[in-house]
Amino acid sequence: MSKTLKTVLIIAGILVVIILVPIMYLKGTYNTLVTMDEGVKAAWAQVENQLQRRYDLIPNYVETVKGYAAHEKDVFVKVTEARSRVAGANSIPDKIRANNQLSSALSRLLLVVERYPDLKANTNFIRLQDELAGTENRIAVERRRFNEAVKVLNIKIRRFPTNIIAGMFGFEKATFFEVPKERQEAPKVKFSRSRADYDTGQTLV
Amino acid sequence: MYYYSRLKYTCIFFLLVFLPMLIGTQVHADRPFPKPQGLVNDFANVIPPAYKQKIVAITGELLQKTGTPVVVVTMPDIGGAEYNDYANRLYSAWGLGKKGEDKGILIFVTIKERKMRIETGYGVEGIIPDGLAGEIRDRYMIPYLKQDKFGQGLLNGTVAVAQIVAKDSGIELTGQAPVKKTLKRRSGLSFLPIILIIFFLVFSSRRRGGSWLLFPLLLMGMGGGGRYGSGGFGGSFGGFGGGFGGFGGGMSGGGGAGGGF
Repeated sequence: MSKTLKTVLIIAGILVVIILVPIMYLKGTYNTLVTMDEGVKAAWAQVENQLQRRYDLIPNYVETVKGYAAHEKDVFVKVTEARSRVAGANSIPDKIRANNQLSSALSRLLLVVERYPDLKANTNFIRLQDELAGTENRIAVERRRFNEAVKVLNIKIRRFPTNIIAGMFGFEKATFFEVPKERQEAPKVKFSRSRADYDTGQTLV
Repeated sequence: MYYYSRLKYTCIFFLLVFLPMLIGTQVHADRPFPKPQGLVNDFANVIPPAYKQKIVAITGELLQKTGTPVVVVTMPDIGGAEYNDYANRLYSAWGLGKKGEDKGILIFVTIKERKMRIETGYGVEGIIPDGLAGEIRDRYMIPYLKQDKFGQGLLNGTVAVAQIVAKDSGIELTGQAPVKKTLKRRSGLSFLPIILIIFFLVFSSRRRGGSWLLFPLLLMGMGGGGRYGSGGFGGSFGGFGGGFGGFGGGMSGGGGAGGGF
C-alpha cells in the first residue's frame, strides 16, 4: 500500500516536472521577449523626443541665420523642405530616412554659417548654436541606446531556441537607426567666439 | 556521415553569424572606464593641489546640501574616441545622481585630444540648458584650458555649475569643506542569500526527499547574488569617505556642451 502510494507519488512528481519545466521556460522566454520589445519601444520614444526637439529648434535657428545671410536661399529651402518631410513621415523607417535627410541639409546650413563672422558673434545665435549642438548630441546618444536595444532584441529573436518562441508569438526584429556612411557623426556644430571678453576669460573665485 | 558533416557546417555557419554580433557588443568594453575616486578624479594629474582642495570643498558641500554631484574628471587621453560620446558613456557608467532622478553634472577634460565637455544628467537639463552650459564653457573654462591652466579652468566651471544648482535648490554655498559623513555600508546584505542557502541545506538534509526544494532556492540565491554583487560595485567607491550615496545609477541623455580648446 505504502509502496504503491510512493510509486504513484513519484510518477506524479515526474509528470509535474515534465509539464512544469517547459511552461516555466516558455514563460521566462516570453516575458524576456516582451521586456526587450518594450525596451526597444521606450528607446525609440526617447529618440523621437530628441528628433522632435531638433524639429522645433530649426525654425528659430534658420530665422536667426537668415538675418545675416538672407541671400543663401537654396540652403534655407532645402532645410525647410527636409523638415516638412520629417513631419510627413509616419513609419519608423520613413522617419529615419527623413531625419537623415534633414541632418544632411542641416550640415550644409552649418557650413554656410561658418562664412559669417558677424553671425557667429551674435549672442542669440551662439545660444541657438549650443542648443542645436546639444540636441544633435542627444540624438546621437539616444540613437546609440536605441540601436543597442534593437541589437539585443534581434539577437535574442534569431537565436535558437528563442527563435521558435518568437515565431510562435509573432515577435519581429526591429529596424536599426542607421546613419548614411558619409556622415556617421552628428552635424559638426562648431562654436567659436569672437568676443574680446571671452578671450581673456572670467574668474568666479 | 552526411548528417554529421551537415551538423558541423551548421555549427560553423551559426558561429560565423553570431560571433561577430557577440564581439560587436563588446567593442566598448575594450577600454574600461577608470573607477571613480571621488568628486575630483584627476587621472591626468593636471590640477594643482590648491585648486583640487577648493573644488573638493565646493562639490562636497553641494553634494551634501543638495544631493547633486558635480564630478570633475581629467583624462590623459581617451584613445581617440569621440569625446562627447565618451563623456556620456562615462557619466552613465559611473551613474551620477540617483537612478530616476538623474541629477548630476560631469565636467570632463581630456588632455591629449584637447577636448572638454560639461555633461548634464537628465534631471538637471532644465536648470542647465545646453546654451547655458555652452556659455559656462566659453566664458569660464575654455580661455583657461587654452593656456593649460586646468586648475583655474575647472574650478571656474565647477563654481559656475555649482552656483546654478545651489540657487535652484535655494541654498547658499559657504565654500567650507563639509564634515565627513560616516558611510553606511550595506555589504552585510550580500551574505543573506548565502546564509539562507546554508540554512536550508542543513534544514532540508535532515528530512528525506527535501533536497529537491533546494533547486529553486539555489536559483534564487544565484539571482540575488548577482544583484547584490552589482550593488557591491556601487559601494566600492564609497571608500573615499565622502558619503558617495550620490552615485546611484543616474543617466545622462547627452545634454550639455563640449568643444576643443
